[in-house]
Amino acid sequence: MRDVYVVGIGITSFTRLEYPLVEIAAYPGLMALRDSGLDKVDHLYVANMGGGRINTQTGLASALVDHLSLTPAGAETIENGPASGASAIKQGFIAVASGMHDVVMVIGAERMREVNNLEATDFVATLTHPHAEYIYGVTLPSLAGMFTRLYMEKYGVTSRHLGMVAVKNHANAMDNFYAHLHQPITLEGILDSPEAATNNPMVADPLRFFDCCPVSDGGSCVILATGDILKKLNKPMIRLAGIGQATDTHAIHERQEPTDLLAVREAARKSFEMAGVKPKDVDVAELHDAFTILEIVESEEVGFFKKGEGHIALEKGLTKRGGKIPINPSGGLKARGHPVGATGVAQAHEIVLQLRGEAEKRQVKNAKIGFTCNFGGFGNNVVCLTFIKEK
Amino acid sequence: MSVDLEKILRPVENPMPPFPAKFVTLASGDEMVIRQVERDEIPDILPYVEPLMHVERDFYNIVASRVYGELLAYYMYRVQDEYVLIAQIGTELAAIVNGRIVNQDIGMSYHTMALRRGLRIGAHAFAAKMEYHIDIMKQKEVLIVAESPIGFRRWMIEYNLEKRYHIQHELGGVPSWALTKELFDKARESLVVGRRPVPKELLDKAKASISPPSDPPTPPEDLLAATRSLYDTTGTALIDMRKKLGGK
Amino acid sequence: MEKNIYAYKCKRCGHLHYPYRTICKNCGQNDHNEFEIVPLAKKGKLLTFTHLYTLPADYETVKLTLGIVELDDGMRITGQLKMDEPKIGMKVKGEVEVVRQDEYNKYLGMVFYKI
Repeated sequence: MRDVYVVGIGITSFTRLEYPLVEIAAYPGLMALRDSGLDKVDHLYVANMGGGRINTQTGLASALVDHLSLTPAGAETIENGPASGASAIKQGFIAVASGMHDVVMVIGAERMREVNNLEATDFVATLTHPHAEYIYGVTLPSLAGMFTRLYMEKYGVTSRHLGMVAVKNHANAMDNFYAHLHQPITLEGILDSPEAATNNPMVADPLRFFDCCPVSDGGSCVILATGDILKKLNKPMIRLAGIGQATDTHAIHERQEPTDLLAVREAARKSFEMAGVKPKDVDVAELHDAFTILEIVESEEVGFFKKGEGHIALEKGLTKRGGKIPINPSGGLKARGHPVGATGVAQAHEIVLQLRGEAEKRQVKNAKIGFTCNFGGFGNNVVCLTFIKEK
Repeated sequence: MSVDLEKILRPVENPMPPFPAKFVTLASGDEMVIRQVERDEIPDILPYVEPLMHVERDFYNIVASRVYGELLAYYMYRVQDEYVLIAQIGTELAAIVNGRIVNQDIGMSYHTMALRRGLRIGAHAFAAKMEYHIDIMKQKEVLIVAESPIGFRRWMIEYNLEKRYHIQHELGGVPSWALTKELFDKARESLVVGRRPVPKELLDKAKASISPPSDPPTPPEDLLAATRSLYDTTGTALIDMRKKLGGK
Repeated sequence: MEKNIYAYKCKRCGHLHYPYRTICKNCGQNDHNEFEIVPLAKKGKLLTFTHLYTLPADYETVKLTLGIVELDDGMRITGQLKMDEPKIGMKVKGEVEVVRQDEYNKYLGMVFYKI
């Protein structure tokens, strides 16, 4: 297998974008081509979940490859729920590492706000098990709510800890030009003040409004290539060193231990093993905090902290920017936004910026090893990526 | 002569108890004051409503246009028993709510317009309005309609409003929904929020002036993008037509 | 007629599955129709729950209470809860009722009540 490097990146603002889905996907591709100095690629992978259902655009990759004038290069759309982005990057890696292609473009894009909020929630709920969950009116927030309640009962995580994750990520996003929410929040405003119940109403008890990520549109792109091409383009040497993927039962009531996210554990393990690094070597991480509880649990399952101690590390400030292991310096899904197909690629985008030293105010000092965790469904399909900066 | 004519054209006002100002702490940690404004402050508010009449998304164009008309009618004594409440963060205008009294028992809610988004300001403003009608003016019910789906979901569904389809609401003559005293009492915890009295400094600052909203809704930047979107539920395709008609 | 929710028992090794799987998780048996249906127990213990307020479009209520129950036969099931104050560990009993309705279809599932 050849080594695979990231030679170009691009991203749109994550917000409500009133452009057709194809254009939201095309713009980051354009930016990435400019960033890399390339003007064509061998193959295009597109990560998208809702194109067919929300935007009446199936075959997004086929539409996009022409839109970007990259024909006759091959193209595929990859759908893996919220983990579509990292899955597409994985496919791009395989293509370059195997020798099949030399330069591959991976774009993740989603336009969820073409429809109203109710329909967007319904759309995401289709990830659940049709007979054992969907028919009961189960949505992803309700699965997260049940999970959170158990976690609170077992490990002593409180609403305060969840609020701390939200406050931290909102603060981080203030320095992120492409983030969806540029709105600082305080624990007083969302939990303590007498009006907190109106400011922060319950969505799926015990998860509240500010524990759930917003509905966003957006797109992001990374271009993967061989070491030779990287050297020719004279770009920083950021290698995609490790990829791990694991799955778990579809219906969450069938999970072996309802407070474990085994798919995260296994995917992270495989990713670190392939990259040849350990969790403690990681300098910066982007975890999938679609719900604030997930940042805490994932930080434990990937190996940064012991199981059941993620919230204690959060209290101590270890996951802040400037802490021992900064998590979600971009604001994470909570404040940066969560266009479903784009998230996995956006996480990689942020890590690459950090490793290149180009993250401006968000920069984590001397970041050499970065890690992302892209969480599909509700923990049934997880893809983790490890990036290493080489000299 | 003109004095007598004006007397005929002006409605005879019924006395209305004033809305006691209150304040809330928002999710951002900022404090927001909700207070009643009289006619003399309306000209200060109108310039901030006017630009929203041209924001053709999220129904801001129709809500702002109607609010402008309602505020002007209040100012010029051409509407019966209307009240206007505003929400301010410091001096910055954050929301406008208004309505009027139909008779002793029934209120007619007009609009709830938030000028800053993402902090549930509309929810606070709407609750203040309902508190005014039912708790302070001791009415039996308030008639409500929604122009936007967001409004519909937040009020009709969340508070389980009763249908009053036989009554045509003043906003477009459409079938009304009602918030009765019983429904209000059931939802009291979420409808009667905020603290009184407002600390003197905070209230004095808010009363001193009304400054422009810092982050109001604006029309989207790319005027032609919407026409390239196949399904445009955001209404931005109208902008292209406006351009053709020689508008901005 | 009493309605049941069914688990699927592998004819070769006896492993119970809920919901249905095509290949047995235990022994890998994959002949078509080699699963027997076994009614799930109706009584159990509440493992976790939530009150959901942002409901899918089909529902007209304001709030939906959902939970995961550990049944007396060792299987787990997700269901709706109809009780005032759910608590983790409380004993519950299920009935099969309509849990969701769209324009033309009624969907039956387990609803749990307090014992």
